[in-house]
Amino acid sequence: MMDALRVWRASSHLIGFASMAAAAAVPTASRTRFRFHQIRCCSSAAAAPAAATPAPATSDRRRRSPSSTSDRESVRAIRLKKVEELRSKGYEPYAYKWDRSNTAKELQDAYDHLASGEECKEVSVSISGRVIARRAFGKLAFLTLRDDSGTIQLYCEKESLTDDLFEQLKTFVDIGDILGASGSIKKTEKGELSVYVKYFKILTKSLLPLPDKYHGLNDVDKRYRQRYVDMIANPEVADVFRIRAKIVSEIRKTMESLGFIEVETPVLQGAAGGAEARPFVTYHNSLGRDLYLRIATELHLKRMLVGGLEKVYEIGRIFRNEGISTRHNPEFTTIEMYEAYSDYESMMTMAEEIVTRCALAVHGKLNIDYQGTKISLQRPWRRQSMHNLVKEATGVDFNEFGDNVEAAKEVAQGILRTKMEDKSDTLLGTCPSVGHVLNEVFETIIESTLIQPTFVLDYPIEISPLAKPHRRYTGLTERFELFICGREIANAFSELTDPIDQRSRFEEQIKQHNAKRAALTAESKSTEVQSGVDDYAYEVALDEDFVTSLEYGMPPASGMGLGIDRLVMLLTNSASIRDVIAFPVLKIQQ
Amino acid sequence: MAEGAEAAAEAIASLSTSDAPSKNALKKELKKKQKEEEKRKKEEENMKKKAAEAANPQSQKALAAADDEDMDPTQYYNNRLKVLSSSKEVGVNPYPHKFQVSMTIVEYVEKYGSLSDGEHLKEVEVSLAGRIMNKRASSLKLFFYDLHGSGAKVQVMADARDSDMDENEFSKYHAGVKRGDIVGITGYPGKSKRGELSIFPKKFIVLSPCLHMMPRQKAGPSVANASAKKNEERPTPYVWVPGMTRNPETYVLKDQETRYRQRYLDLMLNHEVRQIFRTRARIISYIRSFLDNLGFLEVETPMMNMIAGGAAAKPFVTHHNELNMKLYMRIAPELYLKELVVGGLDRVYEIGKQFRNEGIDLTHNPEFTTCEFYMAFADYNDLMAVTEQMLAGMVKELTGGYKIKYHANGVDKDPIEIDFTPPFRRIDMIEGLESMANLDIPKDLSSEAANKYLVDACAKFDVKCPPPQTTARLLDKLVGHFLEETCVNPTFIINHPEIMSPLAKWHRSKPGLTERFELFVNKHEVCNAYTELNDPVVQRERFAAQLKDRQSGDDEAMALDETFVTALEYGLPPTGGWGLGIDRLAMLFTDSQNIKEVLLFPAMKPQDEPSSKA
Repeated sequence: MMDALRVWRASSHLIGFASMAAAAAVPTASRTRFRFHQIRCCSSAAAAPAAATPAPATSDRRRRSPSSTSDRESVRAIRLKKVEELRSKGYEPYAYKWDRSNTAKELQDAYDHLASGEECKEVSVSISGRVIARRAFGKLAFLTLRDDSGTIQLYCEKESLTDDLFEQLKTFVDIGDILGASGSIKKTEKGELSVYVKYFKILTKSLLPLPDKYHGLNDVDKRYRQRYVDMIANPEVADVFRIRAKIVSEIRKTMESLGFIEVETPVLQGAAGGAEARPFVTYHNSLGRDLYLRIATELHLKRMLVGGLEKVYEIGRIFRNEGISTRHNPEFTTIEMYEAYSDYESMMTMAEEIVTRCALAVHGKLNIDYQGTKISLQRPWRRQSMHNLVKEATGVDFNEFGDNVEAAKEVAQGILRTKMEDKSDTLLGTCPSVGHVLNEVFETIIESTLIQPTFVLDYPIEISPLAKPHRRYTGLTERFELFICGREIANAFSELTDPIDQRSRFEEQIKQHNAKRAALTAESKSTEVQSGVDDYAYEVALDEDFVTSLEYGMPPASGMGLGIDRLVMLLTNSASIRDVIAFPVLKIQQ
Repeated sequence: MAEGAEAAAEAIASLSTSDAPSKNALKKELKKKQKEEEKRKKEEENMKKKAAEAANPQSQKALAAADDEDMDPTQYYNNRLKVLSSSKEVGVNPYPHKFQVSMTIVEYVEKYGSLSDGEHLKEVEVSLAGRIMNKRASSLKLFFYDLHGSGAKVQVMADARDSDMDENEFSKYHAGVKRGDIVGITGYPGKSKRGELSIFPKKFIVLSPCLHMMPRQKAGPSVANASAKKNEERPTPYVWVPGMTRNPETYVLKDQETRYRQRYLDLMLNHEVRQIFRTRARIISYIRSFLDNLGFLEVETPMMNMIAGGAAAKPFVTHHNELNMKLYMRIAPELYLKELVVGGLDRVYEIGKQFRNEGIDLTHNPEFTTCEFYMAFADYNDLMAVTEQMLAGMVKELTGGYKIKYHANGVDKDPIEIDFTPPFRRIDMIEGLESMANLDIPKDLSSEAANKYLVDACAKFDVKCPPPQTTARLLDKLVGHFLEETCVNPTFIINHPEIMSPLAKWHRSKPGLTERFELFVNKHEVCNAYTELNDPVVQRERFAAQLKDRQSGDDEAMALDETFVTALEYGLPPTGGWGLGIDRLAMLFTDSQNIKEVLLFPAMKPQDEPSSKA
């Protein structure tokens, strides 16, 4: 409660300084972030006409945007009193149920044809929703009701209402209340389709004033922390979650149509494998042992291939104990899929299939806009090897370095210096192989330039511990990552099936991890810098059970992981991952 | 098809040329390998001779048995490793990149199952892949295999005359193929004279060798036969479907530790297991489409929370390093989902994992899957109707009827029948308890008198309630003893007291009670639902009462979530909320008495020794 109040106060101080409020709430806001806010403001303004009845400007505005906490408290006190009064009159201000015959949108669609002033006396409809606007005159009142589907006006006339309902409406109904209403249909003289109310009932009395659409919700932090307030103030926020559901559903449909079976593998594991990331640790009381939250679903899904399930997938939450940003939330959703007797070529087709089907389901077309950039998802997508992309951009062919890490580093430093001021030294310093150096150059120079969908192929073996060696190129693997708008969307490979090779790759991975940790610890001791060390302070264990499963024989297969949050960001034109996750993790409030 | 074969051939060709060693080295290796092969061949031939001597016309089986069964598992494994490394040394990758399959084994059986006995379609070319689960050598020029894949089986009749290898090569290659290997086969379809559908390979490639000796059924040569014998009333070949009984005691692989820890072996060897997880997937998919059709929106809420709310249970605790923040794994998604209803999403649901830091037993796993949905403007009466419709519909779709068989009293006793025909029975909790146990419980359940009355009642009926003996816990034990025991067919126990239900709305006509129901099937809770409490003032009071229970030692009482109460202050419409335990449901439909049967990787106690190599 206190948290909420504090936020409210913070935002109310900034009324009238919308853009400043946004900037102040996120001191570290990047330029894109800032731009995003303006977009939100625009869109909410654009959505306003849909809420047909303009808010009664003066009187209500005052009530809806209290300038201090005490105002808010007094609103609550007044409304609590109304709750008591209603009860004393025999009305329950928190009703049990309401049978609605139609949604607002259904009515808007069905009676769109009515002429202004026309009435359908014979029909009887009932609807329910939240009051978002209210204008009361002597014997007439207009309310705007919003439900899941849209808005509709309630036309309330004293004579048409039973008993003392009109008085009740004037005395007890506030903006924010949830109302059920029934009556006939009428289009007003001004052409506004309305329910001509015969009966209504307060279903839920709200105690707090609705946030002010134009000011209150520029407080970014509050938007995410109290998502419900955000959604009440900006109905289009809910559209993102509707589209998200549609995308996930489309992915499922695609997988099922291809004969894949959905499975669930454990979140809590004895050792977190399948990726390189810092895991969350927890403790199981009755087992008396530490457990790790999964950082990938890969190793368990591959066991299913060994078990004879030839096409499996899992859509689920992954957890990584890493920083938060516009692209990272500690928990995020992926789909991982594995298919026996296929290779990474077929996973490229799969990636194209999934993304285009989702785009068509959401937009009905393959040319989309993301944050002002035109993206074409027309197939086929560009395919280029990592080596060639780097060579194209820098003129350096990393094949020529052979195993000579030092030579590679020297050249890489030259390339990166222009781009990264002086951080390149530390980045490259810990690179144990030419493959790592190449990857560093790729990530720094190339990644952000891959705007149109691009499959980056054939990653170095040193940074791909679970991928099968390339059938033609020594030192490379049959692996690709898919980039759109400079972001990695998917990661896939022909799966490594050789248990002996797998074991030695794991051992190498652990060796590298420990070396990096040791190097950073030594460095921090000399420089007193603690950051960075922490990132590697966890243990990496070899998953013996997984290697054993490979020893029983895994069919040749390919697999892919695809980030669902990032796909939703792309297809909903959302700048931050926080816009596509209903309740993102936020810093603790001071 | 031709393309597939070519691709496979190509793959192998390119493999053998990539990073090729010098010619001399290659020759040497080849010689070495040949020698080894010859040695091995001799050994095998000796063994085969022995076996042939030992047995008579049944020599086929004896040969197969002699193939692996005599060897010590470690020696077997080491031998396999040696074969691997020697083939790598000569530049042959024992793990080819790709084999183009032209159809699944299921499709193959469907397509060619109707061939007449002895009919061969030599002009047709098919590529299949799968795991060899049985091998019989008839001679050095004729080998029989059982090829398993995608839940089906087909016989492989590898005749040297069909093969693209010469006879010598053929015998050598097939001598090296072991039970458990994953192979790719290109050949033509046909039926043996005895009417067994087979594939006759032209090409036969090991795609992934199995390095361990596969556990084998001692009683008979094939799993399907074995289980058919033990369940004589069942037609052969019998296919398990949801609602039928199962008996893991008859499985090829019985050892529970191995089955659960190395689920892939369980899936390979015990064919019903695949159907269990298929059933589980179908249950979830049914729920999804049922709710989608009612206009519900599927959402995802956080699994890591600052406060573990929405239920009463011990949470897992973890820590976010960079934010230096303590986080709890969710114990229920309830509060977040209701916040979304406040936000205007009138019908939402989430299917996902919940986590409870509790002991592991036959019905509890630390992580489990639930479905929760929230439906604005509906109450618990509506939800009972929805529940009946959903569950009865699901049973009908999965089994074809409304009744399922379940070994409620263990696999050695006769199974019971559970009838999901709607409507389900309803028992009013307090009234039911009073009439069943002949009690007259004081109406004010929050009073000391009520508490004392229930303590006495528990003592009288010898119903154990370990401390703290709060009224809610005492009632729970009595209800468990008197009412839940009677709930074999689906039964709603309804109208729980307020003190047991901090998030449910007070009953519109029965003071002290709430509008809540729990659905019990086979004496276990499957669903829990209520008209949601949406009065913020009352909600805050209920949380305060929970705090009191907490202070009196009930650490399963609920914690207060301010953000949630604030959400209620903005107004939650009248809403019905509903939760279902998916694992429990999966157990019922798969005749599983242990929750581990329906979880691919159940939580297991740590082992002292590394996992057995079966």
